[in-house]
Amino acid sequence: MIDLFFVKWILAFSPILTVLVLMIFKDWSGSRAGAAGWLVSLITATFVFGAHPVLIAYSQAKGALLSLNVLYIIWAALLLYNVVNETGAIKAIGIGIQRFSGDKSIQILIFGWIFASFLQGVAGYGVPIAVVAPLLVGLGFSPVVAVAVPAIGHSWSVTFGSMGASFQALMAVSGLGAPDLAPWSATLLGITTFLCGICAVHVYGGWKITKHSALAILVIGTAMAGTQYILAVSGMWTLGGFGASLVGLCSGLLVAKLKIYNQVPPSQTQSEMRLGWALSAYFILIGIVSSGVMIPPVEAFLGQVNLTLVFPDIVSMKGWVTQAGKGKAINIFGHGGALLLYATIIGFMVYRSKGFYQSHALKTIVQKTIKSGVPTSLGIVSMVCFAMIMDHCQMITILAEGISRVFGSIYPLVSPWIGLLGAFMTGSNTNSNVVFGVLQQETAQLAGLSAGLILAAQTTGGALGSMIAPAKILVGCSTVGLSGKEGPVLKATLQYGLIITGVVGMITMLFSFIS
Amino acid sequence: MDSLLKKHGNALKTTALILMLAIPFLLYAAALHGSILQVKLLMAIFIVNMLFVMKNG
Repeated sequence: MIDLFFVKWILAFSPILTVLVLMIFKDWSGSRAGAAGWLVSLITATFVFGAHPVLIAYSQAKGALLSLNVLYIIWAALLLYNVVNETGAIKAIGIGIQRFSGDKSIQILIFGWIFASFLQGVAGYGVPIAVVAPLLVGLGFSPVVAVAVPAIGHSWSVTFGSMGASFQALMAVSGLGAPDLAPWSATLLGITTFLCGICAVHVYGGWKITKHSALAILVIGTAMAGTQYILAVSGMWTLGGFGASLVGLCSGLLVAKLKIYNQVPPSQTQSEMRLGWALSAYFILIGIVSSGVMIPPVEAFLGQVNLTLVFPDIVSMKGWVTQAGKGKAINIFGHGGALLLYATIIGFMVYRSKGFYQSHALKTIVQKTIKSGVPTSLGIVSMVCFAMIMDHCQMITILAEGISRVFGSIYPLVSPWIGLLGAFMTGSNTNSNVVFGVLQQETAQLAGLSAGLILAAQTTGGALGSMIAPAKILVGCSTVGLSGKEGPVLKATLQYGLIITGVVGMITMLFSFIS
Repeated sequence: MDSLLKKHGNALKTTALILMLAIPFLLYAAALHGSILQVKLLMAIFIVNMLFVMKNG
């Protein structure tokens, strides 16, 4: 019986293994590896897990809806980046920041840790990596480091970022309220705040530069983790990521003035474009996104048109039932992608009115956006679609059950790994919480553990999954000319993601003794 | 075949993406109307599309 389960577990794991092996060891692009993973999942689901054509049909429709939600953001983010970059603003921002601080570790922390987290707070869905990676390239960092740093740096803010969407999903599926979930979640995520800062610096310069950055990480990390905790436990969890990173930004600019971070004289190079104009599109973005998600009448006005599909009960030939319900709705005018698009259009008009564009700039912007957007989108759609096949055939549940069976009484040690797995598969902390939330809660109750603690570990693992999720890595790579070469970035982020998740597991285990 | 892919590679990839996003909705409609034959036919096209992406994506 156990052996049969083991074989089923291995087969359920085979699509993920396929993607990992092809991307890491064979240097396949995300789109090619995703398609291969899709084919493997189709074969195993059909021949082992009782999938049938109608089940596949519905699962793929759900996958397409989910993909469109993600692609809306990605295409808008790519368009924004190209609108900004075509003016030479990215280069100007790089020069401007170099004039503010010549210390590479401070540049890494401000952009890759704090600013990326701020973008997660107001937008999410891959925007932090898509926006920050090209800025870091502009500062002279290698493309691999430029993608890996924000991928690692922003992960701590994912659960309470995007106006707390992932936390809201966790509450919805578990039926528990913020008072039960927020303290543990904010505590575990607070610890990862420091770890993400350390790893973001380490991926660039190793232990020497990490040691040099220790004071900055301690001060800024305490400010961000503390603010997030206070906002979360006081009922303002929707502003947890946004508020924490805003406080982090202020403390980061103060820390940058310390003597130890001013040993390298700032660059005196002047840019043709002033920093304020170069950043204007991002100021517009912050203004629009903040208004769109924080002003209820604006949010309600924009959220009037939602597209979705209604699905019936879906039963596999093995008897696994996926409950009837609506697919992921696309909020046409209030979606994060729509807000990005408004900022892009206004930004384009501002830059054009100031004469920053050469002739035929619009054509170049569109061509560049399509060139980098298509391969990225192919990878995302194929991966989301195979995750949906796995979800509808019990494969994801089998993976989670296998992990919990093996580890038994030391389940708290592995609970964040299940969250990580969900986010890796779907590219989303929210989806991971939806898929695994109930399973984690039931397992915790059976084992006599605190459901609040285990669910906090679930969402923390899900947040950390953002740094290794191919869907997000693909987004970042597409903005720095690494499309089709995502393997080295995934290799870099994977080791940090696994280490931090391991640490979170150990801390959860320790907390389980006292809770 | 290779020269065709080289010449029209971007257009073919864009077409593959459009198919990848459109076919699931056609699958949904076919499944909802209980047309298994249409579902199987569309699945076959979807698989061919995925094979193309796996080779040339």
